[in-house]
Amino acid sequence: MKPAELREIDRPWRFWASIIIVSILAFSVVFGFLVLPIVQGRAAGLDAFTAICRAVGILPGSPAVKQPTSEAKAQPTTQVAWSTDLMRSLGQRTQAGAEVAQGCVACHGERGIAADPQNPNLAGQSAAAIYKQLHDYKSKSRVHEVMTGIAQTLNDQQIIDVATHFASSARRDLDPMTGEVVDEDIIRLVERGDPARSLPACNSCHGFNAGGPIETPTLSHQNREYLARQLQAFKTDARRNDIYTRMRSVAVKLTDREIERLATFYATTLSY
Amino acid sequence: MGERPVTHARRLTLAHLWVAFAAFAVAAVLGVWQMWARSPLPAPYLTAQAYFTSVTAHGVSMAYVLTTFMVMGFGYYVAETALGRPLPLPRLAWLGFALGIIGSVMAAVTIFAGNATVLFTFYPPLTASPFFYIGLVLVVVGSWIWCGLMLWAMLDFKRANPGVPVPLAMFATVANAVMWLWTTVGVAAELLFQVIPAAFGWNEAVDVGLSRTLFSWTLHAIVYFWLVPAYIAFYTMAPQAAGGRLYSDTMGRLTFILFLIYSLPVGMHHLFMDPQQSSAFKFLQMSFTALVAAPTLLTVFTISASMEIAGRLRGGRGYFGWIAALPWERPMVLATGMAFFMLWFGGGGGLINMSFGMNAMVHNTSWVTAHFHLIFGGTVVIMYFAIAYAIWPTLTNRMPVSLRHQRLQLWLWFIGMMVMTLPWHYLGLQGQWRRVATFNYSDPIIAGWGPWVIVSLVGGIILLASALLFVWNLLEFHRAGAVVATGLRPLYALAVHPPERVPAALNGFALWNVLVLVLMIAAYGYPIAQFFIIDAPEAIVHRVYGGG
Repeated sequence: MKPAELREIDRPWRFWASIIIVSILAFSVVFGFLVLPIVQGRAAGLDAFTAICRAVGILPGSPAVKQPTSEAKAQPTTQVAWSTDLMRSLGQRTQAGAEVAQGCVACHGERGIAADPQNPNLAGQSAAAIYKQLHDYKSKSRVHEVMTGIAQTLNDQQIIDVATHFASSARRDLDPMTGEVVDEDIIRLVERGDPARSLPACNSCHGFNAGGPIETPTLSHQNREYLARQLQAFKTDARRNDIYTRMRSVAVKLTDREIERLATFYATTLSY
Repeated sequence: MGERPVTHARRLTLAHLWVAFAAFAVAAVLGVWQMWARSPLPAPYLTAQAYFTSVTAHGVSMAYVLTTFMVMGFGYYVAETALGRPLPLPRLAWLGFALGIIGSVMAAVTIFAGNATVLFTFYPPLTASPFFYIGLVLVVVGSWIWCGLMLWAMLDFKRANPGVPVPLAMFATVANAVMWLWTTVGVAAELLFQVIPAAFGWNEAVDVGLSRTLFSWTLHAIVYFWLVPAYIAFYTMAPQAAGGRLYSDTMGRLTFILFLIYSLPVGMHHLFMDPQQSSAFKFLQMSFTALVAAPTLLTVFTISASMEIAGRLRGGRGYFGWIAALPWERPMVLATGMAFFMLWFGGGGGLINMSFGMNAMVHNTSWVTAHFHLIFGGTVVIMYFAIAYAIWPTLTNRMPVSLRHQRLQLWLWFIGMMVMTLPWHYLGLQGQWRRVATFNYSDPIIAGWGPWVIVSLVGGIILLASALLFVWNLLEFHRAGAVVATGLRPLYALAVHPPERVPAALNGFALWNVLVLVLMIAAYGYPIAQFFIIDAPEAIVHRVYGGG
């Protein structure tokens, strides 16, 4: 076939295809950008212009409903807001941290390893984990007879400094003679949880590389008494600085015996 | 095309298809274990980490490796057999293959090392090892080489045969290549500018609204990329296998053009529940999505008509007698019938998903997972099997004596898929959520789901049996006695009215690319631009590997 002939039979295809596709586009635009928002907006008591701007996304909100008003006041469980600036600061160790840490060593040890097992080890924790708890003490999201007072004397930079200071300490070494108490039930709870009780595995947040919330503390090699007391505090609602009641909803389902065994497991198991 | 040289394509196609089906077999095993994990029956090795590792591996193997290698391998085959010319630049094709292999291995190693549990759809701000994403980028780059070669082969043919219509099978393959080039822009932008920098630690925050929007650009068209080989088989192979003719060549061309146009500006129907896009743009893309039903309806009509021609030529009478007269013992015909049957359910479910209002009912439930297993795993993959059975004799010059195992395999796949997905849909309507490792079956509401999940698991086991039988059947070809290649019947159907005068619009893609551009600017222009105009909040990158 000659090129001229080909062009001849092609012309109507090009013309009508373009017309049809652009018409469908125009119909959808008129309907979705104008007709629907105007009709929906009228029902919701919005003027046409506002409704259209909302439909297009220039103004926030839906074209179909008025923005709901509420007198409820948010009561966040914590005042910590993770930002990239904060994360960056927590990634850099400063000299100032060692100075601030002098106020901590009496209870938490020179290198973040507490002599009294009632107190937590700070060594081995991430800077984010330490920052979160100190900040919560300062804002009274978490309360402790000693820690609240201490935290309130610190400013935000000092909290960052001391958090990064202890984050660089290596976690407690366990005594291989007493370590490694194999407790199959507890290992199952740690690794798989208990679906029958809607209990997630501890490892789903606390496990290595679990990808849980960044403030999730490391549990392994932590002190037994401290862990048990915290789980009891979550269970009885005495401690409530866990966002979305993550820990309270877990702890409330654990028996006292399981809490003891979990605390022992984390405090004594070497390879965890 | 009388002569069908299978020169370069023979080894290329076999290499691609074996990689595709090996990945498929591994993923089928993982799939059964996942359904087991979700059931009330205690599954071995089950931890959340293992589950998401498995789902990621299953998704990557099925959605990226099986499909991409299948489409590429089949494309090379079509380019040589439909055009009747050797493939241009076969070395480049091998380079694309090598990139795909290197990328797939990189991704597989990172997944099985536990460094990529982010599923095959990524979900930033979750961030896996950068090598996971880089591996997938390499697979895509390999497929871009394929796209270039397909376009090259078509243009070469046109230059050598001015005025001659490009055969439908090749036209459709190039439509798919063009669509794939458009499709991958979204995910490539997401990976290169957002996810990979975050994975390397160069970015501390990711604009999740933007990344979800960019992925939606890819997310629907990619499904059509996987589906086109099945449609090529419907149009060109099934009528031939049935002993008839294609009812209309023009309908075929229009179908593939409509896929190209309306698979792209529609991805936002995956974001109906997302807050970062406004209702008007969601409506716009929903109305375009509705038009995607058009090529499928055209196909159902055209292929039914083609089959009716075949049935009547074989002596079928009356309204339905032609159906019984079809040669159902031939795998291609049987698979086409099963694919259409599953298309009914899968397509119907799809219409519910794409409806702005009804979508809210099924969003993030098992309904969606069941839907894409039925439509992709069912309709599309069963045609992959049929294609493999149809072209393997020409690739190996060998043919097993009996087709019984092939028919059995197709039946198992069909039954398994129906048994697995129908209860799964129902569970979605009951509110069963997706992307979770286990369910609390002690909860009285959830307990009622248990039996249905077990039925789905039974379906999954049947599917696994079928998958293994499929690999066995392919090996059977290699063991079978040699046949003379020229004795094999031609693969591609002639049209009732073979195309002689085809307008340029139906013989190339210049016009349609312009129209796609117009539609994409309308549908995605402002929705993407808004992230740069408005100060959008970003999410802190959340690493799920290394260093904790």
